[in-house]
Amino acid sequence: MIKLSHRYEQISCRLTVEGFPDVSTGQGPQAIGILTGWSLALAGHTELEGKRDHLEALLKVVAPYARHLISGAPRVFGDPDSPVAIHPDGPRHRLELRSSQPNTPPLTLHLDDAELADLVRCLDQLVLDARLQLNLQTPRPQPLRRSELRKRVPLGRRLAAPVCGMAALGLAGAFSWMVPTPKPGSFSPDQAKGTSSLVAPGKTAAPGKSTAPDKPVSPGKPVVPGQIGATGQATNRAGEEPAPGAQTQTNQGADTRPGPSQAPR
Amino acid sequence: MPEVSTALDRPTPLPRRGLERLDLMLLCAEALDLNGGEAMVWMSEQLGYQSLFPNRVELWKRRCHNPLRRATRRGQLQVEDTDALIRILAAMAERLYPMLRQLLSAAEPESVSEQRWALFRGRLQELIEERLNLRRVGVRKLLDPLEGPQLCHQLILSLALSAGTGGVERLKASLLDPEP
Repeated sequence: MIKLSHRYEQISCRLTVEGFPDVSTGQGPQAIGILTGWSLALAGHTELEGKRDHLEALLKVVAPYARHLISGAPRVFGDPDSPVAIHPDGPRHRLELRSSQPNTPPLTLHLDDAELADLVRCLDQLVLDARLQLNLQTPRPQPLRRSELRKRVPLGRRLAAPVCGMAALGLAGAFSWMVPTPKPGSFSPDQAKGTSSLVAPGKTAAPGKSTAPDKPVSPGKPVVPGQIGATGQATNRAGEEPAPGAQTQTNQGADTRPGPSQAPR
Repeated sequence: MPEVSTALDRPTPLPRRGLERLDLMLLCAEALDLNGGEAMVWMSEQLGYQSLFPNRVELWKRRCHNPLRRATRRGQLQVEDTDALIRILAAMAERLYPMLRQLLSAAEPESVSEQRWALFRGRLQELIEERLNLRRVGVRKLLDPLEGPQLCHQLILSLALSAGTGGVERLKASLLDPEP
């Protein structure tokens, strides 16, 4: 039986596979069903040779690497024990080939983008060639996971938003501690006068809105209902005669300030 | 993730980012080939997509689903349309592969390589200014003198790796990537 040889070529890469048709499964005379060997010649590098296992290992490493590279998220493929591994190496790609023979150092090839693209195209041609009926186990391209894509954004840029958010939250918290809180407590009769004079005669204040001034209440005399009523009487005596609703609202506004000094009803 | 493992098996529409990248890569092919628009129509006919894209206007209308376009079209692009555009792009990348390789090769003299990149970036910039919305951050990044060259390199590398029949699935899978 004549040994068959198929060649796949690109500018800097030539992949040759040799083998025989598997007659027992009814393959045609031009098909290769039994792979006896393959060789890969990369321009300017040592020619590589191997068996079926090595070809499968090369496919398992290079195809997913190209898949990640097309998404701009390259990463290492190939375990330390596997015969082939590929690493991103700056603008280049480092292809490591480990021999199965003991005490043999791994062969390292540095490929640029064009050489890698040539290699990928050669392997694509091999996989898609209908004459090769080897049932090679090649991973199908899949969309990447979100976590894999996150790595292409630099760490500084990824951390910028959460760090700025935490810093802003911390600053806001610190400022809120610096603002003095109004002391629970007293309400002076002077302020009560001020509030009653804010309400125009004949008009009613909005329900639920306190007309008391916002400035902190100075600790002073405790307010009792009798005093508030006295204030209202004093206003009446001045001849202004505020509307009953307004008077009530003013009193309510004064009463809404909680505090232990308010007399129990 | 089961939904990821079967993403290519079922007809999945391209996400927004995928549409943007697909149209940008077609734009890169046009920047590399002065007659790229015509070549795209011719390639569509060669691949048997006359029913989908009977004329160049229909092709242009599909490409206008890119949100970065100056005159963008709303609505979801059909899976058949995106598949056809991906196949057209892969075929064009195969035709332009020698040029892509020249741009990517580190063996070329530095000055010659710089000139080629400058020519390509100049043409791409003209096309971007003509067709894309310059207020979008993604477009401004492409025109940025610092970030632009890196993005252009990534687009050219993606085109080279998606060239030919073998590149179709790789390109489609990359366009279906989720938002990072």
